[in-house]
Amino acid sequence: MLRVLLAFFIAVVGAALVGSVMQTQFNLAEITALSVSVDMPTRMNTIVHDLLHFGPVFAAMLIPTLLIAFMIAWLVAKRFTRFERWWFIVGGGLGLATAFIIIDSLAPMPTLIAANRTTLGFVLMSATGAFAGWIFDRLWHPQAQELNEELPK
Amino acid sequence: MIRLWGYLAMALVLVVGALPGAAATTKTTVIATDLAFPWSMAALPEGGFVVTLRGGQLIYVAPNGNQQPIELSLPDLYATAQAGLFEVLLAPDFSSTRELVLSYACGSEAANNTCVVKGTLSAQAPYSVFNTHNIFTALPKKAGAAHFGARMTWLADNTLLVALGDGFVHREQAQQLDNHLGKIVRIHRDGSTPNDNPYKHSQASQIFSYGHRNVQGLIYDEQRDAIWQHEHGPKGGDELNKIVAGGNYGWPIATYGIDYTGAKVSPFNQLPGVKAPLYTWTPSLAPAGLALYNGDLLVSHLVGRRLQRFQYSNDSWTLTDEYLSELGQRIRAVYTSPDNEVYVLTDSAEGQLIKVELP
Repeated sequence: MLRVLLAFFIAVVGAALVGSVMQTQFNLAEITALSVSVDMPTRMNTIVHDLLHFGPVFAAMLIPTLLIAFMIAWLVAKRFTRFERWWFIVGGGLGLATAFIIIDSLAPMPTLIAANRTTLGFVLMSATGAFAGWIFDRLWHPQAQELNEELPK
Repeated sequence: MIRLWGYLAMALVLVVGALPGAAATTKTTVIATDLAFPWSMAALPEGGFVVTLRGGQLIYVAPNGNQQPIELSLPDLYATAQAGLFEVLLAPDFSSTRELVLSYACGSEAANNTCVVKGTLSAQAPYSVFNTHNIFTALPKKAGAAHFGARMTWLADNTLLVALGDGFVHREQAQQLDNHLGKIVRIHRDGSTPNDNPYKHSQASQIFSYGHRNVQGLIYDEQRDAIWQHEHGPKGGDELNKIVAGGNYGWPIATYGIDYTGAKVSPFNQLPGVKAPLYTWTPSLAPAGLALYNGDLLVSHLVGRRLQRFQYSNDSWTLTDEYLSELGQRIRAVYTSPDNEVYVLTDSAEGQLIKVELP
């Protein structure tokens, strides 16, 4: 059980970090497209700000989403054991995409996360759910060869 | 000993009363109740008020509070969420022409924006608005029911300023001069474009200023020949601005607010070439109404549930007093009538029109 909880925690944190840094790049790209230059220190400060402020909000979205998505993936994986890793990857990605759609339909604003306004942004932000799925299954249920992998020296 | 405590209490009252932003007592008189989400009002010269309800109704409120619907036809009205009927503004020569202008959300869920019609109010009750015709449509039409702006004011030359919103998801368009999203536009009363507008883009020659998010307060100050405006920031960064022709007010490249998710919209609070706000509200109070009273600015707030008073000095505004927090109501609009009486509209399904006597 501890292994499952730890794997889930790391998966959520990993996806929140990647998602946060990614949405920052989308927002800054929109600003630079308006002929405003953003130097590297400013970019780094913005990344850190968003990790501290957007990251926890995104993690709060990820926790219930991935709980449901991974439970469904686990049920499917019990039936089709051969593709277990892929069920978690697909489950995490589709789950997060579904969560975005539900949140945007319920929230007062049309699109809560600005990066999701474009198709590319929506796909890439949803892919952080797939990344979480990969992390979770990799840690919770590593494959035989993964257990034999040597740590880098 | 008792006298000492008395002096101390008096001193405390004086000190607290002198603090900027201290809550001040006001006398309020409820004129009308059960107004479903009232948005704006105007006092008629013959007495009583015209009040817009966001759902699309125009109401006459008699001085004794009695209400009568005013017949009004807006076939393309789009009323849902933030969309609906917004501002009513009497023409400067209303007494002789009976003309008024109305702003509202027009179109459909898939394609809508802010429209303005001009109409004529009948001479006596039961009132109706006739001869309505469109004088402005903000373009492009877009999906969604958020950020319409829609406050209006007349300038000294009788041209009309119409404030608009960015449609929420189209924030970058506020910096583009080929559309009306996130702009304040200036038009003649017949809908034509003044020749001396600052930008000449063929698709948006009406633009007067740009870089706005969702303007909810706009007023021309005849005494100072200035235009004052406020707009909603996202999470923090509500702004009070002095509007000048051609000005860029920064949204979304420069803002004191952050996105609702906590992410930065822009790394910059200010940028060269961008007009800095005169005052910012962080956290956001959601200013929703703006009026002049004895040379001071009155700002009503939705989230802040209060009325604030600002005094002018050195081309800026200082918060001096706060009123009406005891009501606990979202306040959609504040209005100063031609006879210098102050009124507010509370924002709820059982909204009220309240007369406020300020100290």
